[in-house]
Amino acid sequence: MESLVYIALFAPLLGSLIAAAFGTTPKTLFTGIVTSSLLAVSMFASMILLAMAVSGAYIHVELMEWIGAGDLYIPFGFVVDEVSATMMVVVTIVSTMVHIYSIGYMEHDIGFNRFFSYLSAFVFSMLVLVMSDNFAGLFIGWEGVGLCSWLLVGFWYHKKDVTRDVNPSISPSWAANEAFIMNRIADLGMLIGLFLIYWFTGSLQYSEVFAAIGDVDMTIVYWIGIFLFIGAMGKSAQFPLHTWLADAMEGPTPVSALIHAATMVTAGVYLVIRANPIYDVVPDVGYFIACLGAFVAMFAATMALVNRDMKRIIAYSTLSQLGYMFVAAGLGAYWIALFHLATHAFFKALLFLGAGNVMHAMDDELDIKKMGALYRVMKPTAIFMILASVALAGIYPFAGFFSKDKILEVAFNEQTYILWFVLWVTAGLTAFYSFRLIMYVFFGKDRHTEWGAHPHEMPNFVLWAMSPLALLAVIAGWFEGWFHGYATNLLPDYAFSDATHHMVAMLIAVTTAVALGGIIYAIVRYRGNGPKKPTNVNSPVYKLLINQYYIPVIYENVVTKPYAKLSSMAWSIDMKVVDATVDFIANSIYGAGSTARGLQTGNLSKMLRLMAAGVAALLVAAVVYGTLR
Amino acid sequence: MDHILSVLIFLPAVAGILGFLVDKNSAKTYAITVAAIEFVISLWLWMSFDGTNSGLQFVEMFPIVSSFGINYYVGVDGISLFLIVLTTFMTMISLMSLTITDNVKNLVLSVLFLEMTMVGVFVALDAILFYVFWELSLVPMLYIIGAWGGPRRVYAAIKFFLYTFAGSLIMLVGMLVMAYLYYEATGVWSFEITEWHKFVLPFEYQLWLFAAFFIGFAIKVPMFPFHTWLPYAHGQAPTIGSVILAAVLLKMGTYGFVRFSLPMFPVASVYFIMPIAILSLIMIVYTAMVAYAQKDIKQVIAYSSVSHMGVIMLGLFAMNAEGLGGSIFLMISHGIVSGALFMLVGVIYDRKHTKLMSEFGGLASVMPKYATIFGIMLMASVGLPLTIGFVGEFLSLLGFYNVSHTITLIAGLTIILGAVYMLTLYKKTFFGPVEHEENRKLLDLNKVEMASLAPLVAVVIWLGVYPKPVLEPIDNSVKSLLSFMEEKTEALETRYDNSDEALEAIEEAKNIIVVSQNREAE
Repeated sequence: MESLVYIALFAPLLGSLIAAAFGTTPKTLFTGIVTSSLLAVSMFASMILLAMAVSGAYIHVELMEWIGAGDLYIPFGFVVDEVSATMMVVVTIVSTMVHIYSIGYMEHDIGFNRFFSYLSAFVFSMLVLVMSDNFAGLFIGWEGVGLCSWLLVGFWYHKKDVTRDVNPSISPSWAANEAFIMNRIADLGMLIGLFLIYWFTGSLQYSEVFAAIGDVDMTIVYWIGIFLFIGAMGKSAQFPLHTWLADAMEGPTPVSALIHAATMVTAGVYLVIRANPIYDVVPDVGYFIACLGAFVAMFAATMALVNRDMKRIIAYSTLSQLGYMFVAAGLGAYWIALFHLATHAFFKALLFLGAGNVMHAMDDELDIKKMGALYRVMKPTAIFMILASVALAGIYPFAGFFSKDKILEVAFNEQTYILWFVLWVTAGLTAFYSFRLIMYVFFGKDRHTEWGAHPHEMPNFVLWAMSPLALLAVIAGWFEGWFHGYATNLLPDYAFSDATHHMVAMLIAVTTAVALGGIIYAIVRYRGNGPKKPTNVNSPVYKLLINQYYIPVIYENVVTKPYAKLSSMAWSIDMKVVDATVDFIANSIYGAGSTARGLQTGNLSKMLRLMAAGVAALLVAAVVYGTLR
Repeated sequence: MDHILSVLIFLPAVAGILGFLVDKNSAKTYAITVAAIEFVISLWLWMSFDGTNSGLQFVEMFPIVSSFGINYYVGVDGISLFLIVLTTFMTMISLMSLTITDNVKNLVLSVLFLEMTMVGVFVALDAILFYVFWELSLVPMLYIIGAWGGPRRVYAAIKFFLYTFAGSLIMLVGMLVMAYLYYEATGVWSFEITEWHKFVLPFEYQLWLFAAFFIGFAIKVPMFPFHTWLPYAHGQAPTIGSVILAAVLLKMGTYGFVRFSLPMFPVASVYFIMPIAILSLIMIVYTAMVAYAQKDIKQVIAYSSVSHMGVIMLGLFAMNAEGLGGSIFLMISHGIVSGALFMLVGVIYDRKHTKLMSEFGGLASVMPKYATIFGIMLMASVGLPLTIGFVGEFLSLLGFYNVSHTITLIAGLTIILGAVYMLTLYKKTFFGPVEHEENRKLLDLNKVEMASLAPLVAVVIWLGVYPKPVLEPIDNSVKSLLSFMEEKTEALETRYDNSDEALEAIEEAKNIIVVSQNREAE
């Protein structure tokens, strides 16, 4: 059993190291094959572990001590329980498919070997994140995935910086740095959360912390909950730390599918789920998380409505779905959050990989208004993307229906009707923008021949790599009942009130109606030659949305530029005040010396006169001092 | 091996003197050989060191001026051990990577003399001996900067010398006063640090003496606002000078706090936590900003050193085993990482004779190996877990959190601001298209450079994944240091019955010094 845990964990690392050994040499196909096979090994090991977890096993292994200082003891310890086994299986399935897919997608890239090394390193970090038995181990994975994300977003680092009008992400290297720094801001919150946990519970091990959390002062638990959530906000790109996610689309598309849709960005949700004993104590913090989640769900969906960049649309939809997960987790329905996390990982990865196929066919063009009628040439891709979109929209019997509907029910059950309403509207928006994309890309008028694209379908093995995800996007939801029973062995169950039970059919009908409405409206509006009444691109609302509510510009003007100015000022102060003072003191001493040198003439009569003056001065001083006493 | 420490001190010095006889063409090889032998001996010291024993080991003593209690008295504990190994390791590596050919014999011999003084500082247990090595270390460095430095080398070298020298004179006065107070109380003269540790000093004297030592150490660290000699020294020093300066010389200041200030003046140390913490915060935040504003790669690294030293200072004054141990570990890791970064800057300086970021760009495509190693060191510098940089930074901040929430929160900005200036540097230098055509011809790391950088990479990862071999002996010594401080504080309490200020300070010290949470809970 122990060895299975280590196989699942270290197979991707081994693959990464092997690929890294060939990192600077030109493409060698076998790096792709080796890393993919090792990931498949990890995937099968994870599945066996999941099966064990299902049958009630709880596996805890400790590899060795990492940090021991004072009373602090941090081991490399790993745990396979209901939550981590689920995460492991989701992560390894998506990763394996993405690896195989990438062999085709990155075929002509000179950084082929390097790419696989980074990608497998990412999977390793992600597994460390979800498998660790303590907060510090989670932090290792947390920073590890951040590093890999930096490397992979900036994969095409040679591109030049351009202005925001040309490319809202400026350049891959810029986007990579933005992502890393934004995440670091959140990581500070996370670190402070860790410090609080350590000083008030005496440990960082989950088991000990959760056992002791009941005895900790409520105010402290509040702060722990808040600071941990700040950490989660960075990784899961919640407002106001969300801008990096859309910019991270500069990375190769398989990376977007794996890291920025299916796995890494859900780490924040995972953290909240994992720390459920903490959030159970402080429901107010949970409520705040839910509100922010609902806000982000809608906020992101609105930006997706008008965007023309295929990957950005999907990125905003990811953001929006993360909002849904946080609503569930914040309201205490942890297993539902985890369930949506899993189904979302499958259909969103599928959607992104489909987008990658389209990009390949379109010579890396991303503007959906330059595509159209691709259904004819790319039938399998089109079907995959439609499947994923239907699942995302939450139509029965696809995966998204089960998990997303449950979240709406939770919001309703908690009598937070505003949250419910926001999510309900967002469900409609989601359906609309997903099918706007589908219509623009696959149907309607052919707009790509005029600029000379030669669309073609991807090789068969790439499509085969996508098919398991497609299958899961369809059927994953059917396991809802089973998953409920399984996950709540560890996570607290969520009880629906009777009132909600009576309303369920109604709720489902209303939600499905709005989703179908969105889909139908999108189909009607964008079929044929496109909208009869085109969107007014000069309207203030459109401008607001297409510019992402001007938030990146605001950040640049309020944070980045002032910081640069302030830094230059600090430098001037350092040179012109601090250092100048030092030099001034040194010069004064030197100057005093030079001046005093004039006294040392060696002239005897002058010396005697000076001596007499000195004696007189001393006498006067003595007399004055004496009388004063 | 009863005299292993003396061998460690004097081997480089004797070899240095003999080195004058060596032919100038083989001087570099000779120096590397000596440094390698020295390094092996220090490893041997580490191997034979008993990590579970928190006391002083390999102690040697013989009198020099017995009427005044001045002795040749040396020994190591878990705190100084790794600073010694760091010294010998970095000296060896920096000699290996040396590319200067002009007058190289004098340079390498200076480095050997410098090695003697550095090892001497870390093993000395007699205040006068400590002071002698401390001051002697200025001379070779003055020469290295002044003779092989950049265009303003003389100004920079003199500034470095006079500034630190002025500080250490005040420290010397402090030492003499301390010895006199000891003489008054006991009737015998002694400069033995271990004797001074046992001597319980009245609170008022603690404050004054703490201040005197503080100035000496703070200039060396360098703490804000005494840091401005550093950018000049780094800016003008040759690569080897910067490497040793950043890796080892700065650590002498923080080591001084551990060896003198904390155990000798425990109550004053606690009394001054806040002012020191505020200076450290300024170091962390303000110098990180100054680093961001730099156009010269080497200056970024120089200011980043000051910023990281701020974290070390915070950890030192955390007054618990987590923070203090972490801070000492951070001294080691900062030594490795900043040394490596200065060596990396040296690599492109050798090729292009400029260190301005604007002269580069897109180097990742031209020099992939170089970019990779720079990337690893960058990640260690910003404290990524599983690199050496994380352990110390995490523990230092964790430790200080027990003293002050707010200050730690602000100090934590180091993980953000550090990433900001380092990633910006990396982007400007390595990412983007190759802007300057002539840069396309830059050669990637050669074998010599690889051979000197590869061990640093190995250490960065090894101690990041498995810090225990270093952390455990440090932890043992730190715990005994802290319980010692606690006992001394309690001993002092019994002597006061009416001085409110002193009692308040003592009470405060008793609260803040934490040897072990568990022990106190029991």
